[in-house]
Formats: sequence, C-alpha cells, structure tokens
Amino acid sequence: MSALGILGRFAAMLVLLLVNGVVLIYMLRKVLGRLHLRIGPNRVGPFGLLQTTNDVIKLLTKEDLRPDSADAWLFNIAPYLIFVPSFMAYIPLVFGPTLAVTNLDTGLLLAFALTSLVPLGVLMAGWSSNSKWSLIGGMRAAGLQIAYEVPLLLSALGPVMMAGSLDPARIVAAQSGVWLGFIPRWFVIPQILAFVVYAIASQAETQQTPFDMSEAESELITGFANEYGGMRFGFMYLAEFSNTFIVSAIGTMLFFGGWQLPWVATPAWLAPFVFIAKTYTGIFVMMWARGSLPRFRVDQMLSFCWKVLIPVSLAWVVVWACVQRLWPVVAMAVSR
Amino acid sequence: MWGSGILKGFAITMRNMFRGPITVMYPEQKLTLPERARWAVAPRYDAEGRPKCTACLICVNECPDHVLNLEVSKSEDGAKHIDRYVYEVGACMMCGLCVEACPFDAIEMSHEYELATRDHGDLVRVLLRDVDAASTRRAKGGDDA
Repeated sequence: MSALGILGRFAAMLVLLLVNGVVLIYMLRKVLGRLHLRIGPNRVGPFGLLQTTNDVIKLLTKEDLRPDSADAWLFNIAPYLIFVPSFMAYIPLVFGPTLAVTNLDTGLLLAFALTSLVPLGVLMAGWSSNSKWSLIGGMRAAGLQIAYEVPLLLSALGPVMMAGSLDPARIVAAQSGVWLGFIPRWFVIPQILAFVVYAIASQAETQQTPFDMSEAESELITGFANEYGGMRFGFMYLAEFSNTFIVSAIGTMLFFGGWQLPWVATPAWLAPFVFIAKTYTGIFVMMWARGSLPRFRVDQMLSFCWKVLIPVSLAWVVVWACVQRLWPVVAMAVSR
Repeated sequence: MWGSGILKGFAITMRNMFRGPITVMYPEQKLTLPERARWAVAPRYDAEGRPKCTACLICVNECPDHVLNLEVSKSEDGAKHIDRYVYEVGACMMCGLCVEACPFDAIEMSHEYELATRDHGDLVRVLLRDVDAASTRRAKGGDDA
C-alpha cells in the first residue's frame, strides 16, 4: 500500500468518525427527547440540525484551561489516549465485500484490544485532574470497563467459533445464505444468549446509562472529564460516540451478518449502506436503553458483571464448544 | 419474571416515542392554561370600569409574603381614596390567599404568566393608582351605583 493510500484511508476514517460524532450527538438528543415526550433540539437550523455543528464550533473556540494543581503531562495526554484507540478501532471494520480499511486475520482481536485501551486514558484523566470527582469517576471507569471487557470478549467467542476465524470479513462471509431455506444465517439466532451478553457489556463498555457510573451526571457531574474544557473535552466526547459506533458495528458484524441483506444477494455498492443502517439501528437500541433505564449502583453493576454475565458467557462458551464439536458426530450418527 | 420490569420500561419509552412530544414550541405556540391556574394578582373592575377594591386591607394583612401594600388616604367626607396599590410580583408565590380572602371579589389570580423582566424595578407593580375606593355598599349590593 502506498503512503498516499494509507493517508487517504486515515483521512476517510477521520471523516467518518467526525461525521458520526456530529450525527450521533444530534440523534441522541432527538431520540432521548422523543422517548421523554420532548421535541429535542429545534432552534438552530431546520429541525435543530445545526445544533451539534454549533456545539463543535463552540468547543473548538473555547479557551483551553488546565487546573494549576493538575499533573500537566498526564492531563494533556489523556484525551488523546482516549481518542486515538477509538479512532484506530475503525481499522478492522468491514463496510462491504471490498470496502475495508485493511484486511486483518486478527481484526476482531485488534478492535477489542484497542477499545480496552480506553479505560487507561479515562483513569489517567481522572487521576491527573487532581479533583476528587474526577478521581472517583476515573476509578469507577477503570473498575467497570475492565470488568465488562471480559464478558464482551467471551460473548464474541461464540460467533468466532461458528465462523472459525477472527477476521471480520470472514465472520461476515460465514453469515451469508439461509438455514432451513428461510432463516437468514445470522449468528444472532443460535447465539442469542451471547448476543444479550454482548449488548449489555457493550452498553457498559461505552459508558452509557444505565452503566454510566464514571460520568454519573447527577453525582459526579461528568466524572473523569470534570476538569476538561474546550477541545480536550471535545475529544473525549467524540471518542465516546465513536466507541458507540464501533461496538454497534462489531455487534453487527458478529451477530447480524455485517453488510449483507437477508435472503437476497447484496450488490457491492449497497453493502456500506446496509452496514451503516444496521449499525445505526443498533445504536438506536442503545439510546433506547439509555432513555429507559435508571443508573445502577456501582456495587450492583460489578456484582452483576462478575456473578451473572461472566459465568453465563463462560458457560455459553463451553456449551457452544461442545455443540460445535459434537454436532458433526451426532449428524453422522443420525444419518447412518 | 426476573427482568420483566426492564422490558416494561422499554415498552413505555417506545410508546412515548410514538405518542410524540407533549411539549410545544413555546414562544410561537402556547398552551391554554387551566381555568384555575394562579399567576400574577390583578385588580378587577366593575361594569363601568371602576376598580372593585374597597381598600379594606384584608388582602394586605392576609398575604404571607407581604408583597401587597395599599396606600390609602381619606377625603373630608370619610370616603377612602387609594393612592397606590403596590404589588411585588417578584416576591409573590402565587398562593392565591389574597384572592380567597377578598370579600368583594376585587382581585383575581390572572393568567399572566410571562413575568420575566429585564429591569428589577419592573417586578414591583402598581396595580391601582389614585382612584377612589369602591364603597362597601356599592361593591356588595350595587344599589349605590
């Protein structure tokens, strides 16, 4: 790949991330508004469409403040440590049969590895701000996101076993066609339990209500991002929405057949649109949960993760491994 | 069933989504207030446009926030004259006790709810200025005309 090609791909990723950020913030505010019987943004531009653009301009032009007592080096670097992994996590996404940043045999692993770097940045931001609210937020984020990383990975194992690959392109390709003539071969159907675990864990991973303890608007104001302002805060905010897009995109690839339409063959030009539509549907469901559920307590959250989600997903991995191994034997025995 | 409450919550918010907003675009659209809504106190007038206030001071004494004040003088024939009827709307809690207490139906809780002002002084209103108080007999029976 030429240097120009790499640059072009990075530019495309950046544009996608920024557009996603702007669209998702607008979408979140509109969806939450409607869920709560309100209108949502409606003043700036038609239907309030320019609201987020104006917010971005505001963030860009705000003074860049740093508290005197903050640890300057960590404070400055933390937003980028949150932003860069979520930017890099666009690399393994497969938008169509020929449309991806690059093809990686271990793309899924890369995506999960990158998203698991986020708590490090969050903890850094919380610690370096030298404020008790930020620190509490950062500690919560670390405890929470690292805990929920485990069921997230375990729930991805089911589809990986079915596809026999960690390459997102091959996982998506394995979901083409139908079972029994009419059920689309989407992994969500046999892997429904893994999907539920994935949905819950990804909600926690992206720090959205009901798992937003690290921000906890009502108790910690914005938690780890408390002392940040201007574009540094903007980076954190953007990373949060980009992470939402990424977990939803990965969920689409793992469980809902990626860019493929059910029953019919998908033309290459349509594939990215199908993929984006599926991803946004997933994001809508996440926002729906965000608008419906109250926040858990920290202890409830952690015990839910360690006592329910992890055992369930571990058991599912074992069960599915047995099924996967035994199925050919049983099928052979039945056919004989 | 464990978890059914969560599903119920989801169903409620989704129903809300299709119900559409119950809020309105405020300055352009306004909701009609319920008839008994209580906002700023306003004086009432009789058919000839004269204030029904008799300057009995019951509202002034009744007000728990001391936002009403009547400055009354008496003419030679003993009739009451209202110099100023002052109302501090900024400190009023719209409880409506003054209206309940008024025996002559001379004040009301109006439906005027857009009370924000740019000037602090505008929060002190003069409801009546330099008018003759209604005689109690006229206000009650109307035979005095």
